[in-house]
Amino acid sequence: MNNNEKLEKILEKVQKAPRYTGGEMNTDIKGWDECPLHFGFCFPDTYEVGMSHLGLKILYGLINREAWSLCERFFMPWTDMIEQMKEEGLPLLSIESRRPMSDFDVVGFTLQYEMSYSNILAMLEMGGVPVLGSDRGETDPIVVAGGPCAYNPEPLADFIDAFMIGDGEDVMGELNRVILERKEKGLSRAECLRALSELEGVYVPSLYDVEYLPDGRIASVTPRCPEAKASVKRRVVVDLNDTYYPEEIPVPYTEVVFDRIMLEIMRGCTRGCRFCQAGMLYRPVRERSMEKLIDLAEKLEKATGYEEISLSSLSSGDYSCLPELIRELMRRMKDKRVSISLPSLRIDSVLKESLEETQQVRKTSLTFAPEAGTQRLRDVINKGVTEEDLLEKVRDAFEGGWNSVKLYFMDGLPTETDADLEGIGDLARKVVSEYFKVPKDQRARGLRVTVSASTFVPKPFTPFQWAAQDTIDEIQRKQGVLRHALNVKGVTFNWHEPYLSFLEACFARGDRRLGKVLHQAYRKGCILDGWSETFRFDAWMDAFRECGLDPAFYANRVREKDEILPWDHIDSGITKQFLWHEKEKSEQALTTRDCRQGCNGCGLQRWKGVCAYADAGRV
Amino acid sequence: MRMLAVFEKSERIRHIGHLDIQRAVQRGLRRSGLPVAYSQGFNPHILVTFASALSTGACGKREIMDVTMAEDVSAAEFIERMNRAMPGEMQISEARAVDGKHPSLPGLLRAARYDLLIRDPAQAEKLISAIPSMMARKTVPAMRKTKTAMKETDIRPLILSIRGEGHHIQATLTLTEREACKPGMLMEALAREAGIQEEIRVLARREALLGQDEDGRMIPLEQL
Ligand code: SF4
Repeated sequence: MNNNEKLEKILEKVQKAPRYTGGEMNTDIKGWDECPLHFGFCFPDTYEVGMSHLGLKILYGLINREAWSLCERFFMPWTDMIEQMKEEGLPLLSIESRRPMSDFDVVGFTLQYEMSYSNILAMLEMGGVPVLGSDRGETDPIVVAGGPCAYNPEPLADFIDAFMIGDGEDVMGELNRVILERKEKGLSRAECLRALSELEGVYVPSLYDVEYLPDGRIASVTPRCPEAKASVKRRVVVDLNDTYYPEEIPVPYTEVVFDRIMLEIMRGCTRGCRFCQAGMLYRPVRERSMEKLIDLAEKLEKATGYEEISLSSLSSGDYSCLPELIRELMRRMKDKRVSISLPSLRIDSVLKESLEETQQVRKTSLTFAPEAGTQRLRDVINKGVTEEDLLEKVRDAFEGGWNSVKLYFMDGLPTETDADLEGIGDLARKVVSEYFKVPKDQRARGLRVTVSASTFVPKPFTPFQWAAQDTIDEIQRKQGVLRHALNVKGVTFNWHEPYLSFLEACFARGDRRLGKVLHQAYRKGCILDGWSETFRFDAWMDAFRECGLDPAFYANRVREKDEILPWDHIDSGITKQFLWHEKEKSEQALTTRDCRQGCNGCGLQRWKGVCAYADAGRV
Repeated sequence: MRMLAVFEKSERIRHIGHLDIQRAVQRGLRRSGLPVAYSQGFNPHILVTFASALSTGACGKREIMDVTMAEDVSAAEFIERMNRAMPGEMQISEARAVDGKHPSLPGLLRAARYDLLIRDPAQAEKLISAIPSMMARKTVPAMRKTKTAMKETDIRPLILSIRGEGHHIQATLTLTEREACKPGMLMEALAREAGIQEEIRVLARREALLGQDEDGRMIPLEQL
């Protein structure tokens, strides 16, 4: 049996076979032989998760648009599929032309969350690509990775040949060209990696030596050859209006997590919340123009037939002409019966007007993210939201006919005390009472307030990158306090066991040595860790022990100012001084203004022509 | 005006369920920009129905959709625009415009013709040689899945024709709103007849949906 026949046979036995079969609208297979460069885009999670991801759609379109390059997709199979594949001896195949990963010239992983790392190892091995970079030979693909987690690439240094740091749109093509050149000129793998390392925004970990102090902290990181830069500068796309955005995207047959058109209205955020890694990494704020967005919306609607468009960004409410944009989109989409939704509303920017307009189309539940329960703690994290703001927006929503509100918080934030947790209960109670203040005949029936608390994970390139995460015991105790505080009628409380957050904290700020732990955990069978039914915390802890490393060193340790952090040789544009200054301010509960009110000197102001707000202040 | 369009559900996408096929057609119609009619009400959807739901796992050569149009269009234009708007796995081969009073397709449906490819050659041979003895029986019981339970049915009168050739079995089986012999039921009975206990891997392809003309002849449903 050939691979295709094996696959067809297996498909009869697995759950959710359409995950693996392809043939979706807008995924027409390009001729393999007509394209000299073959790129395998790998999403290290299931099809349903991967097909909801905007980055996949951007890069898929961008690579396939070039006549010389072709992009096909790979996803992480579910456990039943993996078993069948082993039994039949079937490698991991691309969705489109059903070729094994080892047939591709470049294999690129997107790193969205740390707990997908074991899936990368699994996908490489199933795809017939040596898991360790050092084991790869001249005919093996070059394995690359990008996405937010690439800013601390170190835990994956053993497995990934080259990382792309920052916005991918420009560097993707440059990287592919270098790899194509290697193929055409017959350059060796080592030569190719050195050439890649010369590209701005590309980091090749094997070209660096890392030394450690006896206590496990880093002593030094040293480039090994002239091509390897001492500091790898992240890529920034300055003008989104002339940056590639797909006008056709694949339309899955089955329902995926976000099954709609996603219109990225802007990138970045001006608010500077101190816990938020995305808020730091995607600086500065860059907007797409209204004309461009409307043009894209119309093209995408025609190409997909989707019934829903969501405006996507870190903080859509901050888009400078949001009401106009919504009004214009609604006007044009009305006859086509397309609804518009705003996924990440922020409570201090929700305009009553746009609330009313979305309501015409769809009354989904409203989401607010106060993140912390008291004003003091919100000041610590620089979440510029007051209780009055929140209650006013909630009141507007209830008066506008909403009955369902979701509130998101974090537990385990730096300086948090039980009083802050009690504050979450108080806030939830006040939200409930706002509902009852609306006269009975003017409010929608059946109030639903959902409070979710996630465990804080300190991330690189944030002011909390030096902070300790609370221990598992402490988090569990705090969750008990929260359960008690949220025992309020009309309120549902959601939380998660802290084990996954603990591991996430290890890998988020991990160093190169964690590669051994990851490899060991994978050998013990850890995969699909992001899914509670497959997550095996004990096996992970065993892996740490067997590798002689202490997870608490990574998760629960306070770092000193002068410590060399594993990601210090990656230049995000944000300076360490700025982050340290923000950390000190947070300890005194001092807030930092929104960049729209003036530049705060995060470091990006040094890069001329990159940040519009910084440049505006310069004149 | 309504458009009856014959489309394929290819082998590649045979594991897609009927609800997802319906949604793919809805989206295809939206992409095509054809003047289709929408339902009234809060959540309007395109008025399109299907002659028969095809089971998950089966592919279909000549499935039929029935689209209510808001304005008249020619069959040729319908095909041309839809084929640009539909994935390669679901192309339209024929279309025919009928007026609004044309009876509904599920009501006209009488039978379906299937091609069943038996993956294992040895099994195929055994199964095919069991056809005559099975057909000679007065009753042939098979289990039918209803909404709530499994029910025993006599499928003998529902097998309108059957023959085997190579690794294929071709069968015309009754398919109406009230009674149906699904390919799986036929295979179950035939496996029993052939004394095969192991699982049989079959690729079921529905080749045509049939109705009855005035003279009682079975003809393709879309031609009625
Ligand atoms: S350079 Fe200034 S205005 Fe721009 S993101 Fe940094 S702090 Fe904000």
